[in-house]
Amino acid sequence: MRTLSGVGTTPLSGVGRARWYRPEGALSLPERPDPEAVDREAERDRFERARAEAGEALDAARDRTAERVGADEAAVFEAHRQFLDDPQLVDDIREAIADGALAEHAVADRFAEAVAQFEGMEGRMAERADDLRDVRDRLLRALLEVEAVDLAALPSETVLLAERLTPGDTAELDPDAVAGIATATGGRTAHAAIIARALSIPAVVGVGDGLATVDEGVDVLVDGEAGEVVVDPDDSRRAAAGGVEAPVRTERVRTADGRAIEVAANVGRVAELGPAAERGADGVGLFRTEFLFLDRASPPDEDEQYETITAALAAFPDDRVVVRTLDIGGDKPVPYLDTPTETNPFLGRRGIRLSLDEHADLFETQLRALLRAAASDHGDGLAVMVPMIARVEEVDAALERVEAVADDLDTAGIDHAVPELGAMVETPAAAFVADALADRLDFLSIGTNDLTQYVMAADRENEGVAELHDPLHPAVLRAIDRTTRATADADAWVGMCGEMAGDPALTELLVGLGLDELSMSAVTVPTVKAQVRETDADEAAALAERALACQTREGVRDLLGRE
Amino acid sequence: MERTVEVVPDAGLHARPAAAFVRAANEFEADLSVGRPGEEGVDANSMLAVTGLNVRNGETVRIVAEGDDAAEALDALEAVLTTPVEGEDGESDSETATDSDGGESP
Repeated sequence: MRTLSGVGTTPLSGVGRARWYRPEGALSLPERPDPEAVDREAERDRFERARAEAGEALDAARDRTAERVGADEAAVFEAHRQFLDDPQLVDDIREAIADGALAEHAVADRFAEAVAQFEGMEGRMAERADDLRDVRDRLLRALLEVEAVDLAALPSETVLLAERLTPGDTAELDPDAVAGIATATGGRTAHAAIIARALSIPAVVGVGDGLATVDEGVDVLVDGEAGEVVVDPDDSRRAAAGGVEAPVRTERVRTADGRAIEVAANVGRVAELGPAAERGADGVGLFRTEFLFLDRASPPDEDEQYETITAALAAFPDDRVVVRTLDIGGDKPVPYLDTPTETNPFLGRRGIRLSLDEHADLFETQLRALLRAAASDHGDGLAVMVPMIARVEEVDAALERVEAVADDLDTAGIDHAVPELGAMVETPAAAFVADALADRLDFLSIGTNDLTQYVMAADRENEGVAELHDPLHPAVLRAIDRTTRATADADAWVGMCGEMAGDPALTELLVGLGLDELSMSAVTVPTVKAQVRETDADEAAALAERALACQTREGVRDLLGRE
Repeated sequence: MERTVEVVPDAGLHARPAAAFVRAANEFEADLSVGRPGEEGVDANSMLAVTGLNVRNGETVRIVAEGDDAAEALDALEAVLTTPVEGEDGESDSETATDSDGGESP
C-alpha cells in the first residue's frame, strides 16, 4: 500500500483499476514540410472544417452537460466556444497557414503562445490555460482525424489517472463506471473538479509528479475526503472507502433469496432529509433531535419540535422515521440545561437517565410533540426510541411517561397517536437483557459506536485504544447476536444505526446476524443496497455463525477477508 | 463613445461572464474595446484578450465603442458586467451534508 496526497475535490471514495488517460500522446504532429510545398488553400479548408467540427462538438457537450449536470457547469463550453472563435487566434492561424504552415502546426503554435500567456499564473488565469488546451486538442483531433478516447465508455470500476482533465473530458465520464479520478495538476475550483463533484465522482487533484509512478492496471483507491490516492489499498482501507459508488435505488431491496432489509439514513438536521431521500434511503433509521437543542439559549417548544418531526415524516411519506429522544450528557453540555461536570461523562448522566429525572419536563414536551406528530398526515410511519437504556425499569418508566402524555392529550382533546416504541442498545447491560426489552417494545436499534465503546471499555475518541474500538471483536459481535436473537423470539424488529451498519464490507455479516434494518450516513445507502441484493441470507447466516465462533478479532477479520 | 463600469460577477471577467461579454460584443457592428481606465483597451470580440486582462470582481473597466450601434453595444456590455452570476464558481457550491460519525453519540 502506498499513499499519495493531493487535494480532494469530491468528498467521496472509490476503488478501481488504474487507467491512464494521455490524450496528448495520440496527437503527435507530422514533420514540418517545406512551406513552398504546402497547398495553402487546402490547409485553410482543413482548418475551417476542423473548426466547424470542434464547434459542433462543443455545442453538443454544452447541451449534454446542461442536461446531465446543470446550466452553470455547461457554461464553460460556451467559454470554449468563444476561444475557438476568437478573432485574434483565428486570424493568427490563418496567417500562419498563408505563410505555408500545415493547419495542425499553425494551430499548435498559436495555441502554445496563448497557453503560455496564461500558464504560470495563479487561480483563474491558470484555469484559462486548461480551457485553451481543451480547445486546441479538439482542433488537433479533428485535423489529425484521431478519435478521442471514448471516456463515456470506460469499463466499470475504472480509476482514471491523467496529468490533467479538461472540463470536456470530465463531463463525458459515466459516473456509474468511473470509480474515481486523480490528476497531477489542478485545484478545487477548476471546472473539471466542479463537474466531477456535480457528477458525484470521487476526485483528487493536484497530486503532483508522484502520480506518474502509478502503473496502468493496478488497484487504486481515490479518497476525495482525505485527498489521498492509495495504490494497492489494503482491505480495511477499501472497506472504509465503500468501493464503487452504486446506482441509487429508491425501491426497497431484498437479498438474492428474498429477505427484505431496510436500508435507512441517519439524519441530524432537517436539511439532510432531502439528500437522504435522493440517495434512496428507505426512511430514517436515526433522527437525532439534539440539533434542536444545541447552539441556542433556550429549549425548543412543543410546536417547533412538532414541525420538525412532521417535516421528517413528509420527506419520507411511505417510510418509517425513527426519532431518538434527546441524547445529551456531560460530554456535550447544553448551556441552559445546567448539566453537571462529571469525571467520566460517558458513564454518567446522559440520555434516558436525564430524561426520566432532571430533564423530565423536556422529555414530556418532546413526547407531546411526538404523539401529536404520530396522528399527523404521515404519522403512521413514526417510531420513537430512547437512548442509553441499561435496565428494564427505564423502559417501563419511559412507557409510563408516554401513557401519561397520551392521557393528557386525550383530556385536552388534542389529536394524537402512540407511535412504534423502541430502545437503543448501546450498553452491554441492554444487550444482556435484550429479551426483556424486546418483550416490552416494538423494536430495538443497536448503536454500535457506543456499544463497542462500552463492551470493550475503550473510549471511542482515544487513539491509544483505537485497536480495541472495533465492532469486529467477538465480544461485540456476540452482544449484537444476543440482541437480534432476543428480538426474533419476541417478535420485535431490530435495526442498527452505528458506523458499522454503513460499512458495505460488513453487510453480509449483519444480514447473517439477523438485522432487519441498517441505518447509515446517506452517502453509503446506495452501496449497501447493492450489497444486500448480492447477499444470500442462508450463506450470510452461515458466515455469521462462523464469525460468532471466532475467538479473536483476527479470526473474524480473516473470515471476512480483511487484513 | 465610452463608459466606465464596475465588474459585478464573482468570477470577474472570466469564464462565464467573459463568454457572455464576448458573445454580446460579437452581436454588434461597432468596434469595441475594453480595458482598465487609463490603459489601452483590448478587442472586446476576443475571448483571449478579454480573459487576458485578468479583471477581477469589484474592478472598474472602461468600454469604448465606435460605430453606428455604439450606444446599444455599450448598454448590452454594461448589462453583462453588472449582472451577478450565481453559482458561477465552485466555491459557492453547497456540499451535501453528510455525517460521518455514524451513530449514536450526540
